[in-house]
Amino acid sequence: MKPFNRRGFVRSSLAGSLLMGGLLGDLLAEGRTDPLAPKKPHFPGKAKSVIFLFMSGGVSHVDSFDPKPKLIADHGKQVTFDHPETRNRPGYEKLYLKKPDWKFAPRGRSGIEVSDLFPELGRQIDDLTLIRSMHTSHSNHYNATLGMHTGSFAFARPSIGAWTSYGLGTENRNLPSFMVLAPQMPYAGTQVWASDFLPGAHQGTRVLPGTEPVANLRPRIAQRSQQELELEALRSFNELHRESRPEDPALAARIKSFETAFGMQTEMPDALDLSKEDDKTLALYGLQRGQTDGFGWQCLVARRLVQRGVRFVELIHTGSSGNWDSHGNMADHGRLAKQVDQPMAGLIQDLKRVGLFEDVLVVWTSEFGRTPFNNTVNNPGREHHNWAFSSWLAGAGVKRGHVHGATDEHGMRAVEKPVHVHDFHATILHLLGFDHTRLTYRHAGRDYRLTDVHGEVVKDVLS
Amino acid sequence: MIRTFARRALGLLLLGCVASSAGAADPVPRERAEYFEKHVRPLLIAKCESCHGAEKQKGGLRLDTKDGWQRGGDSGPVIVPGDPDKSRLIQAVRHSGELKMPKEKLKDAEIATLVRWVKDGAIDPREEGPRRIGGITLDDAKKWWAFQPVRRPDVPKSTFASPIDAFVGAKLAGKKLGFSPAADKRTWLRRVTYDLTGLPPTREELDAFEKDSSPDAFAKVVDRLLESPHYGERWGRHWLDLVRYADTAGDNSDHPLPHAWRYRNWVIDAFNRDQPYDEFLREQIAGDLLAAKGPPEKYASRVVATGFLAMARRFEHDSDKAMHLTHEDGIDTIGKALLGLTLGCARCHDHKYDAVSARDYYALYGILESSKFSFAGCEAKQQPRDLVPLMPQEEWNRVVKPHQEKMAKVDAELRANTETEMKHAKAVLAAFAKHRKTLSTGDIADGGEKRLPATEIDVKAGEVVFLSITPHKNHGADTTLVEFEIAELDGPGRTWNATADLIGDLLAGNPHKDGHGNESVWWLLDARNQPMPLAEPVRDVNGKPGLHAWRNGDTPSALVNSTRSDIAAWTKLPARSLFLHPAANGNVALAWLSPTSRKVRITGRIQDAHPGGPDGVGWVLEHFAVDVRADLAGMTKAAEQRAELARQRAELARTAPRQDVAFAVVDGQPADARIHIKGDPEKLGDPVPRRWLEVLGGQRIATPGSGRLDLAGWIASKDNPLTARVMVNRVWLHHFGKGLVPTPNDFGTRGVPPTHPELLDWLAAEFVSSGWSIKAMHRTILLSECYRQASAHRAAAASVDPNNELLWRFDRRRLSAEELRDSLLAVGGNLNRTAADAHPFPPESSWGFTQHVPFATFFETDRRSVYLINVRNRRHPFMSLFDGADPNATTPQRQATTVPTQALYFLNDPFFHAQAERLANRARGKPEAERLAELFRITFQREPTPRDREFAAGFLDRYAAGQPDRTGPAWAALARILLASNEFLFVE
Repeated sequence: MKPFNRRGFVRSSLAGSLLMGGLLGDLLAEGRTDPLAPKKPHFPGKAKSVIFLFMSGGVSHVDSFDPKPKLIADHGKQVTFDHPETRNRPGYEKLYLKKPDWKFAPRGRSGIEVSDLFPELGRQIDDLTLIRSMHTSHSNHYNATLGMHTGSFAFARPSIGAWTSYGLGTENRNLPSFMVLAPQMPYAGTQVWASDFLPGAHQGTRVLPGTEPVANLRPRIAQRSQQELELEALRSFNELHRESRPEDPALAARIKSFETAFGMQTEMPDALDLSKEDDKTLALYGLQRGQTDGFGWQCLVARRLVQRGVRFVELIHTGSSGNWDSHGNMADHGRLAKQVDQPMAGLIQDLKRVGLFEDVLVVWTSEFGRTPFNNTVNNPGREHHNWAFSSWLAGAGVKRGHVHGATDEHGMRAVEKPVHVHDFHATILHLLGFDHTRLTYRHAGRDYRLTDVHGEVVKDVLS
Repeated sequence: MIRTFARRALGLLLLGCVASSAGAADPVPRERAEYFEKHVRPLLIAKCESCHGAEKQKGGLRLDTKDGWQRGGDSGPVIVPGDPDKSRLIQAVRHSGELKMPKEKLKDAEIATLVRWVKDGAIDPREEGPRRIGGITLDDAKKWWAFQPVRRPDVPKSTFASPIDAFVGAKLAGKKLGFSPAADKRTWLRRVTYDLTGLPPTREELDAFEKDSSPDAFAKVVDRLLESPHYGERWGRHWLDLVRYADTAGDNSDHPLPHAWRYRNWVIDAFNRDQPYDEFLREQIAGDLLAAKGPPEKYASRVVATGFLAMARRFEHDSDKAMHLTHEDGIDTIGKALLGLTLGCARCHDHKYDAVSARDYYALYGILESSKFSFAGCEAKQQPRDLVPLMPQEEWNRVVKPHQEKMAKVDAELRANTETEMKHAKAVLAAFAKHRKTLSTGDIADGGEKRLPATEIDVKAGEVVFLSITPHKNHGADTTLVEFEIAELDGPGRTWNATADLIGDLLAGNPHKDGHGNESVWWLLDARNQPMPLAEPVRDVNGKPGLHAWRNGDTPSALVNSTRSDIAAWTKLPARSLFLHPAANGNVALAWLSPTSRKVRITGRIQDAHPGGPDGVGWVLEHFAVDVRADLAGMTKAAEQRAELARQRAELARTAPRQDVAFAVVDGQPADARIHIKGDPEKLGDPVPRRWLEVLGGQRIATPGSGRLDLAGWIASKDNPLTARVMVNRVWLHHFGKGLVPTPNDFGTRGVPPTHPELLDWLAAEFVSSGWSIKAMHRTILLSECYRQASAHRAAAASVDPNNELLWRFDRRRLSAEELRDSLLAVGGNLNRTAADAHPFPPESSWGFTQHVPFATFFETDRRSVYLINVRNRRHPFMSLFDGADPNATTPQRQATTVPTQALYFLNDPFFHAQAERLANRARGKPEAERLAELFRITFQREPTPRDREFAAGFLDRYAAGQPDRTGPAWAALARILLASNEFLFVE
């Protein structure tokens, strides 16, 4: 029998090297058993990783990023639209244009107009590409949320983060490749980060603020040395078993997975531990020392995760309730914007500061916009609007201080260079180095892709 | 019956082919044909065919064949021969209409060429291409292996007793290979026990088997396992994977399916009693129609069987409006699960690769659309409907209907009583209107709170103090926390605190007594029109213990959290609190009917307890200085009468006859469906008669009704070349870890052809001739030498066949999610081996699920994992971690991924730790010398080897060193190691 000794395990895990050399190393190196092994994209991509900021509920474009003087001028004017949210809806027989509740002003050197809803982000406008001509296929939260994440508006399909993980693998095996910081459950539930038919390794791992951010991360054995001993013994016992089965990569991969898990127990809390961040950094995100919640926390953790090689980090602001769905009163947008404005601006500055802005693509979006009209002149809210909304991209491979596309004079429809969700996805994949028509997975006799049979790369936003 | 099914199928196709080529027989004027060849054809090739050719057919249009432009695109024909102006192709190239093609406009001369060609009659001499169905020519479809009739091949001559061994052995011999030696008896027993029951064998079972040296020892084990009720739980789960079984509907609010379990249990039972597979299929497609034919004892189970169809996923906010997607799911699942064909692809266009056309799709669609599916409830319509009774209509009329009539009578009396109540209520309202004194009003911002201005008034007995809560612009988030107290300022100095008086026994009555022995002091009122007591008591709202309500519909309502902890429901409801919730269209009120005539002081606090609503609420506090006791007494009397009627109603409900229903399908309005152009249900094309797939015969329905009976017959036919092949391949797959056809849901051109085609056909023929017995199939396979092989590696064989396609050994496999969880329960000694029935869903009447707050509960159970709840929009964390089935789409085969988050489970999961502790305790019950052996016997069904002993002793010593308790923790740690080991997780 091979004697087992504690030193061996500890040494190998600290060095991040393989537990055993030789055959096991060879078996694993083949990549046959490791769906997360780093892979090359179709062509060198500008972005090495993505931070995807998703605002749940539907952010009003005409109050935030899409200034419409004519909407102000025509406030109260009656209009007629065959709109999915008002068609045959009692009380919505008459529709009136409704001016924004926030003032727009040119920002930065580029002079791009952003409203007072996002003053801090407005200061970073010269770093962003703003897309004012987004549109999507559904005006329901559930379907539009699913569509923005999977390209499918009804059926369960792999999430964009899972596709990214599938395409690129990951550089850091001590952390999952796709992580989701979602304090609340979003619309459409776990489908938002599901791998669906892609191998399960690509599903998003949900991180929750608190004592156990990832399921089963916290050691249940009081003494670390005891756990090390236990793991060492497990390896020995598994090696006894493997002696007569040396050729099976599945057995070897599983032995290796315990080493990785052991590493995760340390690396994950370390990634989430903000105590080593200096006050200046915390201030960038509007964080108090010791704070472990809020969007600032999500943003700073996201930066720390991409620094550690996580491929796709999704941040969901709010969830399926208490979100940007301001039917009743747009004033809610003010409260919600305050929660994200400083953290987002801080994230961009921080990425530049640590030199990651060239390598990380930051995506900001929502499921749809909000109607530039409502059923009475003084209705303080806005309804769902899938004909037009705004999103922005920043960082790796995208233009800075640039506006792409436009809506019509009232912000009703994306009329200039419209960008559908499929085009948006195609562009993100392009920035990661993929031809979206060739990033496919054979499932049930068909080659599936994120963009289904649609999507065109928006070349105009590429730097 | 169709005797020569396949021949006739192809005959029909040939007939169609002849007919269409006959039309093209006119001689083509030569010069016009030359014009086409010289000028038009090159133009079409250069400018059009990249989007409208063999590769792509944008808009459904092909211009590379004559047939293509004649049939036209999704919007119909594009050329009117002789009339360029009316031809949409010409309009498009001229860029004169909305459609502008190609994007870069053709040169004028090129346009003129096309115009001249169309004007001259659009003569197109191109040879008719071969006739196609979907993505394949008729010729190729005829030759496709999976469409050939199943013929029983001759068994290769060999010394093997089992034909399976003869087939597999012959292939191996062709590569100069042979079977691996047989696995030892223990390994085989563990393999076959997991394989048939999903559970490990017991030590006793192993002892018995090892002692049995009779020639039929193996056969006896297989028979014993096939008789075990756990067999159906394991093999039923394979079927449930395939039919994307779920306990929720999958719509945006993921409504529960409280009756789905009947179908789950029916499947388990069908496997256990070895229901012939053809009948098993027929009942799932047309069980309701077969039920009507008798016998009565089969009625209920046959109705339940149609749960297969009913189980199709629901979509969107109002699932009634998205049934076209549900039917796609149904057709897709029928295709993949029963036929190994990808039919779902043909919803938007003809199949790109297989012999399935959009017309085929809508022929089947019509059959589903002619059926009525149980409705699960959805956000727009909370309550389910069209659930199907589990008894014939006559019996329902005899047994259930009289009961329902009694119920209806009580309900009518209840309504009459309500009118009386209403009369008094209106009188109260009128009195209030005349004697209203507003004491205070106010508004509370979203999530805010305010104190009521303290107010002192003189009241007389019989007068009313009335606190009403007003919705602002309601969006349903107006749960309002209310503290309200009235105190006498002279006399006895009594106080009335609403929270204190109501919280302990809210449901004791409305009106409710106070704390001083006075009846009918507190009134919880629907104050939208005339004040009426909230009539409906609800205990444990949304299934939350201690959250009780009086309400009228969902709102208005008055609620209490009677517990000592906060309840997380639609919002956080603080402990020991009283809440009022107005309706979207009006107020809810708390009224105090004064039992005193003195000066009183009124205080209180109002808080919007549901922030993010997005607005707050308002309040109005009024004093009605008029004695309304007479009318309130009338109301109370009517309320008492209402209580009595409610009691009668409850008694009726208690003694009600069984009215079991299933989530199932019955016939609806029979009608052919029209093609949805590009899959868009609002763009309807030609109607398609309900019929069978063209490539399999294309027969029209022959029975009245939906046509499901015909469909069942076409699928569950021995002449269907796919059905038996697909199923035997699945049985093989679950025994060997891979199918003879490696793509079990796709026998089409994109799938992988069989590795052993003769064996597949022999099994299919055997399956049908055995009377479609799945258990007979198991016996045939499991008693083969092929199945008995060891799993050890053989370098020489691996160099010839690295993926073991030829089956020179048995493939090692990881336990499935269910096997892992069930095994952990089994070794811990706490597996509840009984079958489960319904999940403890909250009652339908309490449902109010939305996309914001969908149903999302995982119920715990100590039963086998097949009885865990399957929630469509929230994957069960354990199932999702270990590659469980996707409840949204057919899963033919589980993946077996290895990821570090699984390792974290074995390191730190509380359930895993608890099971290891139980296992250790079982072993610790034995004398010390026996402990390790006991641990190994339970976990691996083997004795520890000397090296195992050496290993364990070393570990226990090291682990226990310095520990105060030298045995407990160390043995638990050892148990964890064994349960986390590869030996436990893999089957050899």
